[in-house]
Amino acid sequence: MLGIAHGELVQLFRNRLVLLTSFIMPIAVSAFFVYRHEVFSDLGSLGYIAAIVVFTVGAFGLYTTAVTTLASRRQNLFLKRLRSTAIGDAGILGGLLLPVTVLAAVQATGVLIVFGVVAGGPQNVVLLAVAVAATLAMLVGFALATAGLTNSPEHAQVTTLPVAIGVITVASWIGLTGTEDMELVKRLVPGGAATELILNAWNGGAALSDSLILLAPTLAWVFVAANLAAKMFRWEPRR
Amino acid sequence: MNTTGDTPVIDVERMNLVYGEFHAVRNLTFQVRRGEFYALLGTNGAGKTSTLEVVEGHRAPASGTVRVFGHSPRDRAAVRPRMGIMLQESGFSPDLTVAESVRIIGSLTRREDDVARVVDLVGLSGKARTRVSQLSGGEKRRLDFATAVYGDPELIVLDEPTTGLDIQSRDELWKAVDRMREGGTTVVLTTHYLEEAQQRADRIGLMHQGVFHREGTVAELTGMLPGVISFGLRAQPPAGVPALPLPVQRQTDGTFRVESRRIQKDLYTLLGWAEDHGVDLVGLEAGPTRLDDVFRAID
Repeated sequence: MLGIAHGELVQLFRNRLVLLTSFIMPIAVSAFFVYRHEVFSDLGSLGYIAAIVVFTVGAFGLYTTAVTTLASRRQNLFLKRLRSTAIGDAGILGGLLLPVTVLAAVQATGVLIVFGVVAGGPQNVVLLAVAVAATLAMLVGFALATAGLTNSPEHAQVTTLPVAIGVITVASWIGLTGTEDMELVKRLVPGGAATELILNAWNGGAALSDSLILLAPTLAWVFVAANLAAKMFRWEPRR
Repeated sequence: MNTTGDTPVIDVERMNLVYGEFHAVRNLTFQVRRGEFYALLGTNGAGKTSTLEVVEGHRAPASGTVRVFGHSPRDRAAVRPRMGIMLQESGFSPDLTVAESVRIIGSLTRREDDVARVVDLVGLSGKARTRVSQLSGGEKRRLDFATAVYGDPELIVLDEPTTGLDIQSRDELWKAVDRMREGGTTVVLTTHYLEEAQQRADRIGLMHQGVFHREGTVAELTGMLPGVISFGLRAQPPAGVPALPLPVQRQTDGTFRVESRRIQKDLYTLLGWAEDHGVDLVGLEAGPTRLDDVFRAID
């Protein structure tokens, strides 16, 4: 698995377009929110900015890149080549997705650290870490499922839009409007509970037990995403 | 001919493979013995590659049993360390170099080898640091072969290995395979170049429309059909010359053909007749049935 991961990391840094869209662009967008945090915190809260950062990095740095990578490896039959070796499917997928996942985690952590220095740190770092991890896990699952519908890297530009835009929209909606109205709907939509977790972790003011309950719908979406992935993922191009 | 062992490395019994409503392979049964060179040949769409993909573990059969080294071929951990696969179409990541590709794929086979040795074996030493995207089709095929033979597996499956290779590359590939065979490697081959199978295979399985048509050694397969003597005449024989005492068929191009199960005797008869009656023969050819003829007789 680590051999595959190393190969993916090498390719990531050799492909300038992927580097730009998956690494530089999410950091740039997040940096903008951090830079203008006073404006955005007036609109929502500091926790809202943290949520936007996590979902921007997650949606573009992780989800979109993962779908594009998997579609590309399938299209050029590299997935089939990997399945001709002794490594199992879990090891193959783990190796392919490990670099983008770690990079997204590092990006999100880095930006959140800078944000914490600039605007004041989160109230509960551990809860924040759990929320970020659950969000990234959910997006990995969605990436595997979406890759099943995606025929090529070019096609990924279209197939990734609904989830990528959707989760950022959800994060914005909840970050800006709070959770007093339509609480149940906001908690059940994909990314909704995770957004609320990030808000609570950064802003504080919510009981830990109330926050931990939010892990249930968040992990439920991880489970749903994993099941969709198991049904939809394809290892070879359609004939 | 190499001595082969008795233990089947590949054991396929009454295998059926179905794609939707299309029955691609029907009740296929065959074995490949240890150390054997087995060629699986057939007409286009016969089911050769589908059969190989089941043996390789990429597809599950609809019914029947398939065993490789006594295990299900889908048990990668048990089978793949002992098996090298050169797929008909196989990809590499375009941004990785030749050496990187061999290193990564090689490490996943769980076999030990030296990357430089394997790259040199396929004549790509000068391109070890070249990205796959910059290789020609033939060079990519050689890279494919390199990853298949990495670590000297006990069994190699070659699906149309020389397609796209120039003559020299083909010769080098077969030299490498011949060396591996001397070490006892079992080889399974599919190819459209029949002479490759004819020159090397211990046994051949012929498939047509999803079923096994015939199986046997080259001699057994070609011995089923008569040999052929073909010739032309420089000029019409003079009047009064007796007919050639052989079953002669005139071809549309004006030449003549004799099917014979006694090539030497019938050739002697022909040459004697021509000599006795002053008949000049042109383009004389004589020989046993080739695999091409066995193929053409299918259907």
